[in-house]
Amino acid sequence: MAKKPDLLPGTLDMLILKTLTRGALHGYGIALSIKRFSDDVLTVEEGSLYPALQRLLLQNWVKAEWKMTDTNRRARFYTLTAAGRKQLGVELSQFEQMIAAIGRVLSDVQEA
Amino acid sequence: MKFLNKLSLLFGRRRFHDELEEEIAFHRAQAERDFVAEGMTPEDARYAAMRQFGNGTRIKERSREVIGFRGETVVQDVRYAMRQLWASPAFTIVILLTLALSIGANSAIFSVINGVLLKRLPYEQPERLVRIFLSSSSYPRFSLNPFDFRDYRARNQSFESMAAFTRGDVQLSGSGEPVRVNGFGITAGYFHVLGLRPELGREFDQAAELPGNGLQVILSNRLWRTRFGADPNVIGRKITINMQAYTVVGVMPAGTVHPGNEYHSVAYGEDVDAWWPFSFEGNPNRRGSHYIEGIARLKSNVGLEQAGTEMNAIMAQLGREHPGDSGWKVLVIPLYSEVVGASRPMLLVLLGAVVIVLLIACANAANLLLARASSRQREIAVRLAMGAPRMRIMRQMMTESLLISFLGGGLGLALAFIGVKALVALLPADFPRTQDIHVSPAVLAFTILVTVATGILFGLAPAFQATRADPREGLQKGGRTTIGSGRQSRLRDALVVAEVSLACVLLIGAGLMLRSLLNQLHLDPGFQQQHVITASISLPHVNYGKREQVARFFDGLVTNLNGLPDVESAGAGSDLPWTGYDENSGFTIEGKKPPAGEEFHARYHMATPGYFSALGIPLVAGRFFTEADTKDTQQVVLINHAMANKYWPNENVIGKRMTFEDEPKEKDWLTIVGVVGDVKDQPNSPAAQPAFWWPELQSGWTSDMSVAIRARGTPSLLADALRNEVHRIDPALAVADLKLMDTIVNSSVSTPRFAFALVGLFAGLAIVLAGIGTYGVISYSVSQRTPELGIRMALGAVRSDVMSLILSHAARLAVLGTALGVVAAFALSRLLKSLIFDVSPADPATFALVAGIVILVAMLAGYVPALRATATDPMNALRAE
Repeated sequence: MAKKPDLLPGTLDMLILKTLTRGALHGYGIALSIKRFSDDVLTVEEGSLYPALQRLLLQNWVKAEWKMTDTNRRARFYTLTAAGRKQLGVELSQFEQMIAAIGRVLSDVQEA
Repeated sequence: MKFLNKLSLLFGRRRFHDELEEEIAFHRAQAERDFVAEGMTPEDARYAAMRQFGNGTRIKERSREVIGFRGETVVQDVRYAMRQLWASPAFTIVILLTLALSIGANSAIFSVINGVLLKRLPYEQPERLVRIFLSSSSYPRFSLNPFDFRDYRARNQSFESMAAFTRGDVQLSGSGEPVRVNGFGITAGYFHVLGLRPELGREFDQAAELPGNGLQVILSNRLWRTRFGADPNVIGRKITINMQAYTVVGVMPAGTVHPGNEYHSVAYGEDVDAWWPFSFEGNPNRRGSHYIEGIARLKSNVGLEQAGTEMNAIMAQLGREHPGDSGWKVLVIPLYSEVVGASRPMLLVLLGAVVIVLLIACANAANLLLARASSRQREIAVRLAMGAPRMRIMRQMMTESLLISFLGGGLGLALAFIGVKALVALLPADFPRTQDIHVSPAVLAFTILVTVATGILFGLAPAFQATRADPREGLQKGGRTTIGSGRQSRLRDALVVAEVSLACVLLIGAGLMLRSLLNQLHLDPGFQQQHVITASISLPHVNYGKREQVARFFDGLVTNLNGLPDVESAGAGSDLPWTGYDENSGFTIEGKKPPAGEEFHARYHMATPGYFSALGIPLVAGRFFTEADTKDTQQVVLINHAMANKYWPNENVIGKRMTFEDEPKEKDWLTIVGVVGDVKDQPNSPAAQPAFWWPELQSGWTSDMSVAIRARGTPSLLADALRNEVHRIDPALAVADLKLMDTIVNSSVSTPRFAFALVGLFAGLAIVLAGIGTYGVISYSVSQRTPELGIRMALGAVRSDVMSLILSHAARLAVLGTALGVVAAFALSRLLKSLIFDVSPADPATFALVAGIVILVAMLAGYVPALRATATDPMNALRAE
């Protein structure tokens, strides 16, 4: 079995926030969504997901609500807050800057 | 925001956990459902979901860490550690008591060191204050001559200011019974040198140094309050001192500390009550008499050595100007070392002793914790397997050690408060700065520091060992018969060896000090102290200005005292044994010439006929003084044995003559009529100095005399009789320094006794701790080896085999520890040199005896568990496996 690439450090919060822009989701839903949108490349470890969600809650970037699912089970749904949306913007721009920088370094390496 | 959220979560922990639990359950259920949808059997799906989800406990722990405060895990750790301690009370009590005693001892000794050695002297910039002495081959430390001093003061460039002082007690009369108080004659600017200022009035100016201007006085705060009702208008008032009217010019504030002095010494402390102006009288070209002491403040840019060089140059110059001034060197000594120098070695030895005790206690604690950690191996393995991070376990172990050390330290501090009180009460009377010794904030800080260091020191080994544990191994062994991993039992053995060797070092130190103390106690002082009471009487110059007046007073007093039924004999003399009396005189011996560059010199004393029999000083040859030796008869002198040996070796000295005059007439010769036994200046002086005595009736020019009375019964009962007799002759006189010779002799060994008592106490503690340590390790090894011993016994080993197996383990530790201890003691004991008297620091008897005791104690500590081992029932032991 090929080892799946690890998430880039520091990107989990951003991925969760981005995922939640598509609507409220429970933890399992978030993990599933990240997995699907990344074509099974990114797997979120539960051991990281829930502590990350606690962190986001503490910062008031997401809020949580207990609701019923389609299958009529009680689950905690997370929604993005305005502060969370702003934070996502900050993290995205930082991320893009970093990717661009990495890109420049790599292309420079190829030319040389 | 984050903080507030955390805070609100702090009060909703249960709800937080329940919700997390539910969320995790939901997550698993969903995953399971999806796996089933993908075609797995329900059972496989459940396991797959569980596997995928991973360690639920870990998620919870990590989530908790996110929402928790940093300090919260510490609180958890502390609570956990508390439960652990509570669960094993015997362990807890032993370890806490050990630590409390050793930390308390450290704090108590540090309180003394802090107060005596570390605290600055109570003067302005005390580090710049120095004392000035003269030194020659005959007199290593000598007082200054006033006119020399005046020249030093005028010529030096090294000192900001310089002053001189000399003891001169004053008799205060007026209202109430006359009292004598400690007084000093001081030059102008004496307090300025110290950086002290009078609370009222001013200090003496240079005009007061002129002869005739001396009837002024500065009072201590205490005297001002007790004798003058703290009168705010006391300045300018005339008071009666030595029967003359003195004008009060100043009052010093409370806390004015006398810097200590050597000639007629008054120790450092608040024991001086009056200061009068020292005046420069006499012929400035005669510089033979030395009786004032110098104190000075270095300029900020001048070092000790530079000042010394300059002073010696000045002295050499004075030597060229005044023949009597040649041959002297000048000593410039920091005031600090003058005040505390002598007590320093003892305090450092005591500090060393308590540090050793603390190290032993640490080794003991580490050993106990190690033993417990290995019995907790299973618990730790389980926690590791459940996903607890190693760091967390290590922190938990450290928390436990620190909790133990803090509980121990807290108890120790309480003990220190008691200990310091006891120490101060036990300290020798002449110990400096005892009033500065208490549990201060610095001591508190020191205790905390020691406590933390202790906790870390004894906690490190168990903490590392715990985290090195392999969870699988721990679980498999299940905390049962680990035949202690070699490394671990070696560590424990090493700790015990260290304990034994440290205890051995301390015991050897204590042994040497005990031998020294016994030597001092059995020393023949040269007099017989039993039944003797002494006092000093000072005759004011106004009424006793003539030789005859002084002689008549003491003659009358002694005669009256000798007439009392309870008095066996009474006498008066210029001084008493062991008071550090140091008056010297040069002289000429008939028919002898001193070696080139030297002169005949010796201590001079005066005595009435009864003085020697009252003190029990034996006659070696010839006769004592008698009532018949008067002004009108032949001038006689008594010399001591040391003087006879020095100047008339192998000669019959009786009848030889000496004189103080350069061109003696026949009547100036003194004939030696007797030789008396030697008495040292101080109990610990290496040898008695050559000395001679004049009959009081033929000299009689000192007005300060000491009285010695040998009683038929209890000497203290004679105190009132003495006062009555004195007042019968002159009601205005004060009787001072009433002391029993017994007390003086006892206090002479108070320092070695104190040092021995403490070092002995710590050594006792050390050997008990080392014994406990040995016992602990041997019994632990016995309990670990029970199955092995069972097998051995099942295979035919007899009890004595088992016994010797265990005892040989104990013996290995004991012998190795003792050997190391003896070597270390051999290297360290020279540090004791200044504290021990007439004992070699490598005294073989002490070393051998202590080594024997240490080995014996360690073997005894091993014997008990060995006995238990032989009682092992092989069947039980094997079944336990």
